[in-house]
Amino acid sequence: MFEYSFMLNALFGALLSGLSLAIFAPYVTLRRISYMGEALSHIAFAGIAIAILLGLNLTFTTLVFVVLISLVIGWLSRKRKLHEANTISIFLSVSMALGIILISISKNYSFDLASYLFGNVLLITGVEIQSLLILNVLNLAFVLVFYKELFYLTYNEEMARVFRIRIAPVSHLFLVLLAANIVINLKSAGIILVTAQLILPAVIAFNFVHSLHRAIVTSAIVAILSATIGFALSYNLNLPTGATIVLFEALIYFLSLNFRGKQNA
Amino acid sequence: MIQISNLQYGLGGKSILENINLEIPDGEFVAIIGPNGAGKSTLIKLLLGIWEMQQGSIQIDGINQQEWLKTNIFGYLPQHEEFDRSFPATALDIALMGLAGKLPLATRFKPQHKQAALTALEQTGVADLAIRLIGNLSGGEFQRVLLARAIVGGSRYIILDEPEASLDRPSVESFFALLKSLNEAGHTIITISHDLNVLSRYCSFLVCLNRTLHCHNHTELVSAEIIHNTFGDSVRIIEKDY
Repeated sequence: MFEYSFMLNALFGALLSGLSLAIFAPYVTLRRISYMGEALSHIAFAGIAIAILLGLNLTFTTLVFVVLISLVIGWLSRKRKLHEANTISIFLSVSMALGIILISISKNYSFDLASYLFGNVLLITGVEIQSLLILNVLNLAFVLVFYKELFYLTYNEEMARVFRIRIAPVSHLFLVLLAANIVINLKSAGIILVTAQLILPAVIAFNFVHSLHRAIVTSAIVAILSATIGFALSYNLNLPTGATIVLFEALIYFLSLNFRGKQNA
Repeated sequence: MIQISNLQYGLGGKSILENINLEIPDGEFVAIIGPNGAGKSTLIKLLLGIWEMQQGSIQIDGINQQEWLKTNIFGYLPQHEEFDRSFPATALDIALMGLAGKLPLATRFKPQHKQAALTALEQTGVADLAIRLIGNLSGGEFQRVLLARAIVGGSRYIILDEPEASLDRPSVESFFALLKSLNEAGHTIITISHDLNVLSRYCSFLVCLNRTLHCHNHTELVSAEIIHNTFGDSVRIIEKDY
């Protein structure tokens, strides 16, 4: 299976990609913002289109675009007292529409929409693996350093503010890092896998454990397992990698429902 | 001491609070009463700094509220704590929340913080539930955990928004008795309440609010007539001995 170096690269990519999102997944799940993963990856589409049209660096341009939009969403929701879910839905459709129009303007580029949806981990490059590695280090540092702030921000933002917990910088950083994770994972994983990896490992974890730090560890283990086994299955059965990983993870999820609530004590 | 002067507040062109001038002396057990939509919760949220003031000023211990809030916290117990019942927090985690703001950014709790949180849980009578997940607590137990969170930071002011709303009858009695004991230990208690019966036995200072202030005085000086004026015809006063 590993006679080609790109296969080893691809496995590494799948592992690092799953791991990076799995660390965020418990927070995303508990804050009930799993739609953010889907929304930000759609918003990235407009960023990709802008980069293609202007001939800029794809990842960097998309990253800046998504981070900017996610900060605008947060700001608009706070200042104008709009419901965040509504603001996000508006930006999602506007970004997709903008992306489609921009792509159609840059006629000479044949954009592969399928790879944007499902990603292609087999095409991952050394540079992308490096950025995934850095991303994982940043994620880990973030949840370790700001564990307390993240815990109470996730529990109840308004009450955290009443008790003067300094959640504002952590909340912004969370949004920025989440956006970075989505954009950097988009090429190898695609929208569907990014969305799945931001929720499935965590909901599986919470069926087994009942504390946040254990959930993060369990979520990471689930991601590693499903990336490895999903990858092997896709190779042996000649199936698309990303989709196989999602299906395998979903299988673990349904099996894990049997354990749900058995340790509530 | 809390001094509120010329406080006005409106939302979408509708006036919610008008010309509120209120002085709350230290050490009182204050009840804020008034009909639904009287602006009680608004008054509390402005006092806590959750909502931004539009007009007027609030002084706490002689210091401007915004300044005071930089170095102090209120002990606050909301009407409904919004949380996910499956959230992986224990009672101890919630009590510790009252201390988290005192720690610098990016630091962890130390054993002495956990000890302080346990002491607070003990004071509110739920120390034996410290490692229980919050989703497995009854309404009354959770309320006491929230009270522990309100007192653990050492604030002299404890502010409650209708604490009886999520409690059954016997729990209301014991909860107010607990508040009374905290009051006797030196805390100023400020609570919104609908339960005039319980209040008449525990509180020492009454604030009658219905967009404007109808009274703010020691309970023995408040007559049934004033309360009737606050609520209008929507409530019938059952005579009771203040």
